[in-house]
Formats: sequence, structure tokens, C-alpha cells
Amino acid sequence: MGQILAAYVRGLKEAVRDKATLFWTGSWPVIWLIIVTLTFVGDVPQEAVPYVRASMTVSMMVFALMLAGMSHLPAGIAWDRKNGLFAKLRSMPIKPYRDFIGRVFAVGTFALMAAAVVLLIGFALGARFTGSGVAIPQAIGFLLLTILASAGVGLIIGTLIRRPQGAVTTGVAIAVILAALSGVFAPVDLLPEPLQVFARVYPISSAQTSIVYLLVGSDAVGYDPLTSGQVALTIALSFALLLVGTLLYSKLGWRPD
Amino acid sequence: MSAIRVADLVKTYGGRRVLDGVDLDIQEGEFYALMGPNGSGKTTLASIIASVRTQDSGVVVVHGKPPALARGLIGYVPQENFSSTELSGKENLTYFARLLGYSRRQAEQLTVEMLQKVGLYQDPGKRVGKYSGGMRKRLEVATAMFPGIRVLILDEPTTGLDPGARRSFFGMLQEKVDKNTTILLVTHIGSDAELASRVGLIDNGRIIAEGTPEELKRKYAVEDAITVETAAKTEGVVSVLKGFDVGGEVAELEAGYRVYSRNGDRVLADVVRTLDQAGHKVLRIEMGRPTLEDVFFRLTQKTLQEVTG
Repeated sequence: MGQILAAYVRGLKEAVRDKATLFWTGSWPVIWLIIVTLTFVGDVPQEAVPYVRASMTVSMMVFALMLAGMSHLPAGIAWDRKNGLFAKLRSMPIKPYRDFIGRVFAVGTFALMAAAVVLLIGFALGARFTGSGVAIPQAIGFLLLTILASAGVGLIIGTLIRRPQGAVTTGVAIAVILAALSGVFAPVDLLPEPLQVFARVYPISSAQTSIVYLLVGSDAVGYDPLTSGQVALTIALSFALLLVGTLLYSKLGWRPD
Repeated sequence: MSAIRVADLVKTYGGRRVLDGVDLDIQEGEFYALMGPNGSGKTTLASIIASVRTQDSGVVVVHGKPPALARGLIGYVPQENFSSTELSGKENLTYFARLLGYSRRQAEQLTVEMLQKVGLYQDPGKRVGKYSGGMRKRLEVATAMFPGIRVLILDEPTTGLDPGARRSFFGMLQEKVDKNTTILLVTHIGSDAELASRVGLIDNGRIIAEGTPEELKRKYAVEDAITVETAAKTEGVVSVLKGFDVGGEVAELEAGYRVYSRNGDRVLADVVRTLDQAGHKVLRIEMGRPTLEDVFFRLTQKTLQEVTG
């Protein structure tokens, strides 16, 4: 437990003190949120604007979580490998999985902090949410699933891409491309048919749609993401991504060059 | 009692034998320097002993156990700066103490002690990103000095240290040796290796000579080393200098040349005169007692700088 906690504290302190991480994970989604909420609601009926803004706020919260998991996490892994930290850790009585758990929890905490900032900005910009009661913990559950799935992708990137700069750019590119293709930035029913299928399978998109469905309402999404089959698929694929990332990282992440 | 024992160790990368049957026996409480140029296999050897890498064949034992089972006894400091620049010295040390299994309270207590030991306690909250190279290296060495660690493996720890930092660094190591800690220092700097109680010279994955610094110098470099710097480095200078070297060989240095003579005191003036008569202006000439770098040159006909650079 002490080793996990040590990795967690180190990871969290590094994240909140590094200006580049703060910008990409915290400020970038906020900047996008401000731009899209002020520019893309021109054709929307006045009474629907607060809900569109709420939907966009959720999108940007999820985007912040994706950036933390897919870019910040692999960048940290690649830097630690390059700087010899993994060589040092391999010489110590610590198992990679403990370091991995600490890292993922640190990234998760940092991602939730970034998402909270986005949420506050969303409120300040006039976002209005309708969900209450049990919908809120359910939405938080889906938010946690996006962290797990993003961290899984991040562990895969961090393990396979050895250069820090390569890990950062690959992570950002994958986050942005997958978000755009799967309807994180736009309602799923506006996507072409094949991408609508992808949006339902890609767990981060379906989790995000579920959060919007729970907190903003069914009108804001193109399908019902809360059917038992769809929820099971989202949970299973989120954990599957995390499992693949964990196995890869445990086997190859600390391997010396 | 052996602290580190290595027998017939082989490691191959991409078909190249980086370690080619290495044997090594380092006693408990000994300060052993492994000296060789880049690519000689010394870092690979150290990292196998530290359980960072595994060997293809051969035996490695640390305090009677395979390295992977002796991790709690090994303090390894790799060549790279692995401490986090976003954390303070205190936070970095606390992190490593917690990884070693100390409770939060014990870790904080130990961290204060360690920072005092390495002379970094004045500003424990200062971020490592603002440390000088010497401060950072001392902090990283401190991560390998927690109680219970009996073997310290340091890979090129003095690179980038100024003379003052280097002096205090070796003072710190001497204290550990006095407390019976075994030190394996990996270096390509002869003056660092001179401070060890025993030195192993490694080249092309093999230990080519071993002994105390004095033994090695007595055995392999009995001649005085004459270093000459001329206005221009030319074939003419080399051909003049060849006549003064015991073996007719001239080592080319970054600035100038080096030859070896059994009676350096007497030939020094002759070297200057002969070069002058041949039209080569001498900018600097000096004679030194043989060093471990000279020993390495004698054995391999290569200078450490030449191979390293």
C-alpha cells in the first residue's frame, strides 16, 4: 500500500506542478468549451441553449479525461523511462503493478480535478443540467469508466512509444481523432452511419453519451445508451482496454532499452 | 566475504558480445572501480549486478543471492538524472523511502537525515529543477544510501560535477566504505578510479587488468608521461615525438600528444629543443607520474578519451 501511495503522491504532485500538463489537460478543454459555447449555438432555439451548453460541457470534461489518460500518462511513462527512473525502480524491491496502480490513480485524480474545472466554467457560461438523484452517481460512474479506458490507451501508448515527445503527440492525436470520429465533440446522430456504430462501440464515446443522457436529457443524444446491453458493452470494453494496457505495461513498460 | 561475485558472465546485444566471460569478486566493504571507455560493457555489467538487466549466461551473486533476490540490499544510481524536477529534494527522497517500505513517519525522519548527510538540508523544499548538477547527483546518490543497503552501485556519478562537488561526493563515499558498505563505481575517469581500493579495467567486454591503483601503475605504466601541446598537430610532430617514446608510439589527445619515457626529467628539455629545431612551436609541455589512464593506454593502445569521445 505504501508503494502505491508513494507512486500516487509523486504522480499527482508532478501533474499539478507541470505547466505543460496543466495547459493541455486543464486549460485546453476550457478554451475549447468557451469557443464552442459562444460560437456554435447561433441556430439553436434560445430555450435550448443552456442544455446545448451542458452537453458541450460534458464533452469537454470527457475530453480533459482523455487527454490526461492518453497524453499525460504515456508522456510521464516515457520520460521516466528516458530519465532512468525505471532502471532505478528495477533495482529496487517494487513490482511494476504497484507503480502502475499509483500512476493510474494519480492521473485519475488529476483528470477529475480538470473535469471539475471544466464543469465550473460550463456553469459560468450558462450550462444547465436536468439530471438529479440517482442520475448523478450513475454519471460519475460513467466518468470513471472514461478514465479507466483512457488510462488503458495511455498505458499502451506509454509502453510502445519509447520517446517522450512521440508519446505526447501520439496521445494527443489519438485522443483528438477518436473524439472527433466517435461523436465526443458532436451529437452521435450527426455522424455518418458507420461512425455511429463506432460511437456505440468505443467505450469513451458511449460513456460520454450516457452522461449527457443522464444529466441533460434524452433529446440531446441520438440513441438510448442506457440499455443493459449497451451499458455492459461500455463497462466490458473500458475494463478490457485497461487490462490490455496493464498487461503490456507490466510486461514491457520497465524493460530497459 | 564476497559482496559481489560474477563468474563467466556473457551478454549479447544484436549479435555483439557486450560482456564476454567476465569474472569479478568484490569483497564486503571494498571500494571497487570499474574503469573503461564507452561501449566497453561496464554499464551493462553494473546493471546486471543491480538486477536491472539479465545475463545470457554466467553467474552473478550479491551477498550470496541472485541480484533479483537481493534488491533490498542494493542501492543503484544509474547514469541518468532520474529524480523528478517537479518535486523537492525532500519529496524525492520520501518517495524512494516509501518504495523501500518505510512508513510515512519513518520516511520523513530518514529523509531529513539523508538530506543532512548529503548537505542538502538547507532548503529541503527547493524543487530539484532548480538544483545544480552536483546537488542533483548528491540527492540521487542519497536515494541509494538508505539503511539496510549494503552494496552501492554508481554509474558515472561524477560526470558534470565541479571539483568542490566531486571532493565532497568522494568524502561521502568514504564514509560509507568506513561503515562496511561495498561500493562499485563505474567510470571512465582515471582520477575517480584512483580513489578506489581496487580497480578493474574493462575493454571489449573483458576485464583486462585488475589490482590496486598502485599495483596497476607499477605493473603496466612504469614510465613518466610527457604531454606536449604544439601550435599545430602534424605528422612532423608525431615523427619527432616517436623518437622519445619507449615503444615508439604516440598517443594523440584532444589537444596535443603524449609519449612515455623511463627518464622523463632528463628528456623533457630534449623534446622541446628537437621540436623547436624541426620548426614546431611548443605551447605547453608537462611531465606527470603515470595514471590509470596511462595504464589503460598501455594495455589497449587506446586513450579513454579517444574511445569515449
